[in-house]
Amino acid sequence: MRRIEQDDVLPRLNPLCTRRQTLQWGGISIIGMSVLAPLLAGGADKPLIIMEQAQGIVVADPVRCVGCGRCELACTEFNDGKAAPSLSRIKVDRKMRFGAGGITAWRDGHGNWGDGLIVQDLCLQCPHPVPCANICPENAIVADPKSGARMVDLEKCTGCRICLRACPWEMISYDPDSRKATKCHLCQGKPKCVAACPAQSLSFVPWLDLTGRTSPRNPLTAMLPPDRVRNCAECHMPGYRQNIRETGFFGGAGYGGGPLSPRGRGFKWIDLTGTILVPLALVSILGHALIRKVGKR
Amino acid sequence: MRRIYLHPMPLRIWHWTNALMIMILLASGIRLRILGIAALRPHDPFLLLHQYAGWALAASSLFWFSYGVASGHLRRHFLMKKGDIAGIARQLKYYLVTIFRGEKDPFQPSEKEKYNPLQKIAYGAVMLIFIPVQTLSGLTLSHIGIMQKYILLWDASRLFVAVHVIGAYLFILYLIVHVYMSTLGPTAFSHIQAMITGYEEAEESVKNDWMTDRG
Repeated sequence: MRRIEQDDVLPRLNPLCTRRQTLQWGGISIIGMSVLAPLLAGGADKPLIIMEQAQGIVVADPVRCVGCGRCELACTEFNDGKAAPSLSRIKVDRKMRFGAGGITAWRDGHGNWGDGLIVQDLCLQCPHPVPCANICPENAIVADPKSGARMVDLEKCTGCRICLRACPWEMISYDPDSRKATKCHLCQGKPKCVAACPAQSLSFVPWLDLTGRTSPRNPLTAMLPPDRVRNCAECHMPGYRQNIRETGFFGGAGYGGGPLSPRGRGFKWIDLTGTILVPLALVSILGHALIRKVGKR
Repeated sequence: MRRIYLHPMPLRIWHWTNALMIMILLASGIRLRILGIAALRPHDPFLLLHQYAGWALAASSLFWFSYGVASGHLRRHFLMKKGDIAGIARQLKYYLVTIFRGEKDPFQPSEKEKYNPLQKIAYGAVMLIFIPVQTLSGLTLSHIGIMQKYILLWDASRLFVAVHVIGAYLFILYLIVHVYMSTLGPTAFSHIQAMITGYEEAEESVKNDWMTDRG
């Protein structure tokens, strides 16, 4: 019976897939996938999310910090209703190392043994790009309508934890009980950690006081993928440079760019008139000199 | 021919200081203009150079004014006199028409009267109008504490930038004409030489025909 079935099946399969056809279809699918893959993957590179600027950030002074951890308790008590420092949006720790090649307790770069400094890490409320919001597949990280802080929309969050990996400062926590990501949202503009700090090492500082009237950060367009650069170019004029690391001490050439602020723009007609009048003056004195020379003869 | 002492030492030093400062100001100013005011960092080296040169120009202009008042240089050489209105037309006619026929300048400088009426107007305008206007409009742009608040409040910096830039272009135009006219002397470099040594070659009897009715 079995032999008969095999004999039945094999003749039917063979015409569908000869060796030649296997190679042909294999080749076609390799070529086709390599052509289609970038087209299909294009959607993964979604446009840069630009959101409302946060009102400010919590600024921490590590020199004043005594490491009591009350900010962590106040944070989780307000946001999670429990004392869970591992969930805290403000993370207080000591910079320590255990020996020359030993375990890094927090961050290295502070000597072989660490300097024992107590540091607080906080969400910086990135103006843009906002890495956590950009990476989120559910668009669950939004600007709080009141404080402008980047907050997790718990209805949309699926707990995939990709934002934990996207944040360059590792400032997003994952709550295993609720299975949601959680991050600093400035407690609706009144951060509880600031109120709880007994050493006054925390303060809530508005952007304006931090950065003046200008945009606080200027991303280097050279480091971004071209799609995002196109988004940046809508606001950041091409050739515009501001940071000293971009311009060098003597400011580089700086040509071809407009300023970011509209304040410095306008009045191009002055330059237009000037660039016409100055060569005109040069030409007319040359003409004057020429006619003088001819007249003398 | 005789040599007359036209330019006293302080004014010669002042002139070349001013010239240097204006060159620095124009060069750095063009760069600042290309960058745009909004893109400037407050510690931009060219901005600082522009500011220091501006202060130096203001100081040297103030010196010129006080020296001119104290020595009578302003009153003697810059006050418009009786025949000067007619002199404007005469000088214009000379520069635009008769100079091409190789005729002599109807105005010859003397210790009594250094400048022709056109020069009086040009130099007077530059020293008494343009440099003060440039200095004041530049001051409003240089982030001086109490003033800055109101300038930001009224958003007046656009206006002051416009005034400052128009002034700068007029300076460039003035400079072009000034340098060209300095070569119109007996030889191309005689006026420039006079501004260095102080002495100018002059005719035996400096007597301008329209000066006869003047004491």
